[in-house]
Amino acid sequence: MTERRLRIAIAVASLLGLGIAAYLTYVHYAHTTVLCVAGGGGCEKVQNSDQSKLAGIPVAVLGLVGYAGIFGSALVRGEAARIGGALLALIGIGFSLYLTYAEIFLIHAICQWCVASCVVMAILAALTCARLLLPDEGAARAPSGSRGELGARVG
Amino acid sequence: MTQRAPTRKERRDQARAERVAREQEAARRAQFRRRLGILGGVVGLAIVAVVVAIALSSSGGSDKSSTTGQTTSLFAGIPEKGITLGKPNAPVTLEEYGDLQCPFCREYTLNALPTLVRDYVRTGKVKMVFHNLSFIGPDSVTAGRVAQAAGMQNKLWPFIDRFYANQGQENTGYVTRDFLDKVASQVPGLDKQKLFSDADSAASQTGLAAANASANTRGVKSTPRFFVSVNGKPAQELQPSSLTPGGFESQLNAFLAKAT
Repeated sequence: MTERRLRIAIAVASLLGLGIAAYLTYVHYAHTTVLCVAGGGGCEKVQNSDQSKLAGIPVAVLGLVGYAGIFGSALVRGEAARIGGALLALIGIGFSLYLTYAEIFLIHAICQWCVASCVVMAILAALTCARLLLPDEGAARAPSGSRGELGARVG
Repeated sequence: MTQRAPTRKERRDQARAERVAREQEAARRAQFRRRLGILGGVVGLAIVAVVVAIALSSSGGSDKSSTTGQTTSLFAGIPEKGITLGKPNAPVTLEEYGDLQCPFCREYTLNALPTLVRDYVRTGKVKMVFHNLSFIGPDSVTAGRVAQAAGMQNKLWPFIDRFYANQGQENTGYVTRDFLDKVASQVPGLDKQKLFSDADSAASQTGLAAANASANTRGVKSTPRFFVSVNGKPAQELQPSSLTPGGFESQLNAFLAKAT
């Protein structure tokens, strides 16, 4: 997959994540009930749990910032954007996996919004790491040719 | 038909092309190793960040201590009966649906309640009712039964205030007899022997069941939720703009204006 396609895929997935995080942030500040398709009150339990905040900041807000950062990294070319996007997505998936563990073993409830966000973050982690591993743009386009050409593009 | 032997120039070109291909391959591998190195560094940084985040999340990140003296002064002299705090003839009733394990209920109790009690309950304008839900888990039920028992001694409000101040991580089994004993010790005048005896009685279970039934009737599925009634008229939901005194004050003032 070319870097352009990867960037488009990252932008689309991060917009999906932004939507989920924005909804959960709205629910938090509006004090409304979370729309939980499966029912059973799992989303309310998770949203009211200790783990729904990190150092006083709602996790949904942190997710919103993280997805926005990843989306921003997809709009920009260059090494810093590649590294920044991958770093945010890897932190995101690491913390999402911890929250999934907390849902199962500490809160004893599953919130489908959090699961959806975890899946989106896993996809973003894979895409941003693939983008980071892509050859440099100059090298990717370097044709086989004279030693002088190769040296100029790669070296 | 015999194949023509490559000329010297052709042999030289072929050798050069092979050398270029080898160099390209070596450069490609070197670059991939460099990129793997960068990815390794990024993964390492991410692991450090996640470990710090988990440590912060587990510690709760806020101070849970407050003193018994503050509780004593907050509720001192205010009438209490069962689950109700305040003068019986107060024109406005503020009902709260809360779970003792709910961190947002804790936030409300520690941040907003003291000011609301001082400005509205102590002045006789508002009385408060606490509907003790227990939907978060078994620790909520254990805590709820003891809170109901505290209500039988008309000490529910200082008890829940102390419970929230000492609240632990939910569903970790922290609501033990020792923990409850510690919380009860912070409530002046509470008879602990009677408290635990009443907590095991059917009456405490009945109190929780009544709160649950009331929540079902009003469609309460999360906590904290608030309802206000004026002069005994049907209650309306109050949706605070935040769990601080300011999140409640303008709406409470509007209800009080209707009461006069």
